[in-house]
Amino acid sequence: MIEKATAKKILNILLKNGGDFSEIYAQKRISNNLRLEDEKIENSSSGFEIGCGLRLISKESTFYAYVDSLEKDALLNAAKVLSAAVSEKIKGRAIDLNERSSRYKIKIESHPSDIKQQYKKSILDEINTSARNYSHHIIQVTANISDLEEEVFIANSKGFFANDSIIKVFAAVNVVAKKGSEIRTGYKSLAKTKGFEIFNNNKAEDLSAEASRIAVTMLDAIDAPAGIMPAVIGNAFGGVIFHEACGHGLEADAVIKDASVYKNKLGTKIASDIVTAVDDSTLPYHWGSYSYDGEGFPSKKNILIEEGILKGYLFDYKSSVKMGLEQTGNGRRQSYRDIPVPRMSNTYIDKGKGSRKDIIESVKKGVFAKEFAGGQVDPATGDFVFGISEGYMIKNGNICEPIKGATLIGNGPKILKKIEAIGTDLDFAPGFCGKAGQSVSNEVGQPTVLISSITVGGTKV
Amino acid sequence: MKNIIELCKKAATAAGRKNIDEYEVFIASSIHNEIEVFNGNVENLSFANTKGIGFRVFKEKRMGYAYTSNVYGQELEKCLEKAIENSKITGADDYNFLPSAKDYNYPASDIDRSMLFSERIYKYSTADKINIAKHLESIAKKKDKRISGVSELIYNDNISEIAIINSNGFEDSYRTSSAFIYLGLISRSGQDTSTGDYFGYERCPQDIDIESIAENAAVRSVKLLGAKKIKSQSLDLLLDPFVSVQFLQVIAGITCADAVQKGKSLFAGKIGSKVFSKDFNIFDDGTLKSGMASKPFDAEGVPKGKTAVFEKGVLKSYLYNTYTARKDDTRSTGNASRSSYKTPPETGISNFYIEPSKITVEEIQSKITRGFYVMDIIGLHSGINPISGQISVGAKGIFIENGEKTFPVKEVTIATDILSFCSSLSEVADDLKFMPASGYVGSPSMLLNNITLSGI
Repeated sequence: MIEKATAKKILNILLKNGGDFSEIYAQKRISNNLRLEDEKIENSSSGFEIGCGLRLISKESTFYAYVDSLEKDALLNAAKVLSAAVSEKIKGRAIDLNERSSRYKIKIESHPSDIKQQYKKSILDEINTSARNYSHHIIQVTANISDLEEEVFIANSKGFFANDSIIKVFAAVNVVAKKGSEIRTGYKSLAKTKGFEIFNNNKAEDLSAEASRIAVTMLDAIDAPAGIMPAVIGNAFGGVIFHEACGHGLEADAVIKDASVYKNKLGTKIASDIVTAVDDSTLPYHWGSYSYDGEGFPSKKNILIEEGILKGYLFDYKSSVKMGLEQTGNGRRQSYRDIPVPRMSNTYIDKGKGSRKDIIESVKKGVFAKEFAGGQVDPATGDFVFGISEGYMIKNGNICEPIKGATLIGNGPKILKKIEAIGTDLDFAPGFCGKAGQSVSNEVGQPTVLISSITVGGTKV
Repeated sequence: MKNIIELCKKAATAAGRKNIDEYEVFIASSIHNEIEVFNGNVENLSFANTKGIGFRVFKEKRMGYAYTSNVYGQELEKCLEKAIENSKITGADDYNFLPSAKDYNYPASDIDRSMLFSERIYKYSTADKINIAKHLESIAKKKDKRISGVSELIYNDNISEIAIINSNGFEDSYRTSSAFIYLGLISRSGQDTSTGDYFGYERCPQDIDIESIAENAAVRSVKLLGAKKIKSQSLDLLLDPFVSVQFLQVIAGITCADAVQKGKSLFAGKIGSKVFSKDFNIFDDGTLKSGMASKPFDAEGVPKGKTAVFEKGVLKSYLYNTYTARKDDTRSTGNASRSSYKTPPETGISNFYIEPSKITVEEIQSKITRGFYVMDIIGLHSGINPISGQISVGAKGIFIENGEKTFPVKEVTIATDILSFCSSLSEVADDLKFMPASGYVGSPSMLLNNITLSGI
């Protein structure tokens, strides 16, 4: 996309009035989105984005500019303007560029550009039909398929550059079920760093069946209890609790700002002995995986917690320099318009020893939180809240009535110590995570987990 | 801008001769600056001058959309081709066509366009912006000795121009300016940590009240130090405007006709029904003088207006764009909206607010025997399902006994559902406050009776 010689020239212009680091992030993106609602294709939209972000770091300060163009003159001019943000006596210099390689290698079978719109429509039609056939209570089905193909070129003054091409496909189904005056929803998504082969083996039908099952099951839900009790957290998307309540506090920018409860805790025990947690951006085809992060640093598997002991934080370039620790390949950005910040990729609690059955049977009275609508955390205090989208009462070791309108509320560091059992059924679920106004792809994951006591926010006191 | 309009027209006219019935071009250009300050240093400074266009085409009542950030050269033709290709796959729909000329002219919006843009924003240099951010950080830290740091301090401003042209002869544009400052503070006392935030949002940075941001963020942070859990119970809630606005935003979303027509709104079939138990008035006013979401016309060129959504507690009207209005055999209320040039027009709010009363919040508080003054909620997106209506969110604030604020409370949830929320709303105060929230939403403090709080 950008020639090596041009890149080096731009990197040097950026440093002409001083500075410690300069970077180019060039991107071309083609995306398509097809949405079905009200039994018809309601929106078919495509986008072309092309642009380049230039970054200059001088001591504590980052200066950033972007242009919606990859024209050489536009870039040289933007670099010149940006370089004026710094005025030091000694000018900086970029080292000769060498390509950085990544071990993340995947094979794409079915490229989005080769897929006919008609094929995407047939998948959405199939999702719609199978959901509506699932139950006569289903009154609305919204489904969408988005795909993107991206080319990225990243180079920095430390002498590295990387070329990357990225392909992603995302599908989601949202169904609305109604019985009398009760309305419930069910949601399920499928997303990979893969081509359209993600729909092989009836994956679209499974998606639709699962979303329908949740909505219809929840029609008979009773009011959720209010108060403190044990909670069994379902596998896969249940990992969103760890992501929010702990993961964000391990992102190094929060630690540096003294806005993390996990500051100064490296090497200390922060969770119960059975907890091992990992952020791994190299898991093949996973939604949160990549060859290079948004700074051209290769993806990497990072142990966050090992048997309850805090092992590491997640870094981008700037925070790693500041804390004097190794980069972890977690400097991510939404696009060329954004400054990279430390972000999670695929974050999960690793397998334990118990079976899901035994875990549920060990609970006398509590809740089984199977699926979540998401959650939010204040990293400075560790306080979090999660909305349960599919949950059940547990009575004497049995899963009983579904419950509606429940949330879990607690505090990250406290809850980590209350994890009493971890199952073997590790699984993952895709999603989007928002931070600093940027949305990036993430996966969360975990086996079935037992929390000995947590506040359940229902309406039944 | 003129240049881009001409290029788009040329591309669309050429394409129109070939194979489309109608077209619309949405052009957005903006100059954006953002500054983040931490510990007296500029942590990040970014700027951009950016443009993008979105083509919407109609062919035999089918719609196609495509956008591009590259507005020069062959890219416009390529983008338009893609929009045409996309129109071939969407479902045909009798209501799918552009607004007509009489939709643009009725009722003519007499909004004073000068109120959307402050020329004074040009008089504010980058150095001024850095100084104001640093100044805010320094005064905020001095507000209380328990304040230990800043979790986030961001300044940003935006000068933007929106133009719409279509094949029915509509061609107009407008400029807006805005400046926003957000401050998040951390305070500590012993082992306890608490956070609080506040913001300022105006047409130009000179009008932002820095002192008020510092004061409010500090109060919201330190007041909650030492907060504890309380036992689960049912009590009255006094919602700070910061909180009531967030609930009102959810209510606003399901007054949009799109949600109603698709079976995704609890307000479906409720026109003429008394949804609130008291006589509250709620408006969506796209022409509001100080409204940051005010515009001369909506995202498809229809003039903005003022719509009474609830009158004396009765649901009066949904909010419509052209498509949903045709479906209900009514007129668009000028509520077509787009989050950016990347999306075709949907239905959305503008300045959506509940009319304040003349009662002060202190008067309302004095009548509460046992209640909870809610200063902040978390988990709004996951804790409220606008379709099913279920609400369960985390809350922090101060306990109220016999009309007096007593001790701070945290790690509790409040749960209800949207319709019960409306019927249990018994009073609003006189302290109307607006916040940017997928539009510009305004609410005074609210009193809700008998809501379940979940704690110990």
